Amino acid sequence: MAATTAHQFAQCINCHAWSPEQSMIALCPNNNEVHIYRLLEDKWERLHVLQKHDQIVSGIDWSARSNRIVTASHDRNSYVWNLEGPEWVPTLVILRLNRAALCVKWSPKENKFAVGSGAKTVCICYYEQENNWWVSKLIRKRHDSSVTSVAWHPNNILLATTSTDGKCRVFSTFIKGVDAKDSRTGPSSDSKFGEQIIQLDLSFSWAFGVKWSPSGNTLAYVGHNSMIYFVDDVGPSPLAQNVALRDLPLRDVIFVSERLVIGVGFDCNPMVFAADRQGIWSFIRYLCERKTSSGPKYGSQFSEAFGKLYGQPKQGLNNDGVEHSRSRGGIHENCINCIVSLGQPGISTGKRFSTSGLDGKVVIWDLEDQADLSEYL
Amino acid sequence: MAGAEAFVEADNAEAIITRIEHKSRKIESLLKQSKPVEALKTALEGSPPNTRDERCKSANWIVVHRALMAIKDVEGMFSSLDPEYYDILMKYLYRGLSTGDRPTCDQCLRIHEKLTERAGLGCILRSLADTVNTV
Repeated sequence: MAATTAHQFAQCINCHAWSPEQSMIALCPNNNEVHIYRLLEDKWERLHVLQKHDQIVSGIDWSARSNRIVTASHDRNSYVWNLEGPEWVPTLVILRLNRAALCVKWSPKENKFAVGSGAKTVCICYYEQENNWWVSKLIRKRHDSSVTSVAWHPNNILLATTSTDGKCRVFSTFIKGVDAKDSRTGPSSDSKFGEQIIQLDLSFSWAFGVKWSPSGNTLAYVGHNSMIYFVDDVGPSPLAQNVALRDLPLRDVIFVSERLVIGVGFDCNPMVFAADRQGIWSFIRYLCERKTSSGPKYGSQFSEAFGKLYGQPKQGLNNDGVEHSRSRGGIHENCINCIVSLGQPGISTGKRFSTSGLDGKVVIWDLEDQADLSEYL
Repeated sequence: MAGAEAFVEADNAEAIITRIEHKSRKIESLLKQSKPVEALKTALEGSPPNTRDERCKSANWIVVHRALMAIKDVEGMFSSLDPEYYDILMKYLYRGLSTGDRPTCDQCLRIHEKLTERAGLGCILRSLADTVNTV
């Protein structure tokens, strides 16, 4: 079994993040709070409740080196939380948004963070020493709709975004005085802040969950039309591939290695994608074995409606072609909307990762004993 | 400028209509030879999802509808219909269902059930989520 542990933290989890040494987890139980838990003798103990936001917290990220938590919320603000003694002390970051903040990510060097928002903008925030203040710089007028996900390139400059206008874009976030000149490499070498490097126009419906591969050579994102997109050579002449899924759409992805991607979403079961020696991506399998229980076959509401459509709920869709037992037989019982890599500090990827979803569970997965996947790791 | 674009679009539409008329004749002859699956493939090929011209879309729907209604053996159809046709077929099935015409809906639902078994829910999602390339 690829899943090592599962714990029910709440009724529903919006997002989660791990502390640098992965002993603590911060999660939002679908309200305006962030709860921090620690595993103590096989029991999860709630250490802190971060209460400062007025509305649902939509994004949490915990920086690996500086041990700071950044949160983003529908109340249009972000807070950077620093641990001072026993307490987490918030610093307000005024994002200057007129719509909800939807996602947040620390940059690899942790000197900047990016916030995607419903205001069709991305905020790049950095710390100004002289004012003791986090400043937000906006990338405006580039997105035609809400920004659903942001991902930092390992070079700390390039930022990929996905949006509900269906497009994936890559921007330069070079900020004078924050980024050193020599850190600029490749196609971004002479680009200014907010300059769009590329716009990928592959999806015709909402795009979610963008990530860079560990080297930054490949970009993966998902569409709400049950497709996943892989883009190599991000620059003037990108190479794009798409893989159509048999089942429900994905919400988020991570790269486990250059050639292995895990996607999670409405099918409640992580999907494994891999690139062969020629670099052709394809769907490998579900991570969780399907159990052919004789219990209720219809996991998702979608297929229940389907039964009604044909008036014979147990027949027709019940054969090998379409097997809907996995959502009930699997570990997650509802849409998975967040996946986080559990790498050792210093190594950007690991064989372990955690998922959380609308069923309120956090599940930790390990690919160590998955023999058929080891060639891609 | 806008006028020129509209002209190109209209010109393009005429070409598409001519192509569909040609397709229609080919489908009739295939149906006479009792090759309904070949007829359906011909109808689905070169569908004009990119154009915004409703006339083209309707014209192509008429030929697809003609081929669709000629399918008697749904299981048999899928044994010779390649997966690359699944997504576009699903779009036309939903167009068929939207007509509300009883025999058309019956036929579309029958094919829909078998198509979903084969192509999965992802195929439905792709046809519903795509608001740009409509048929």
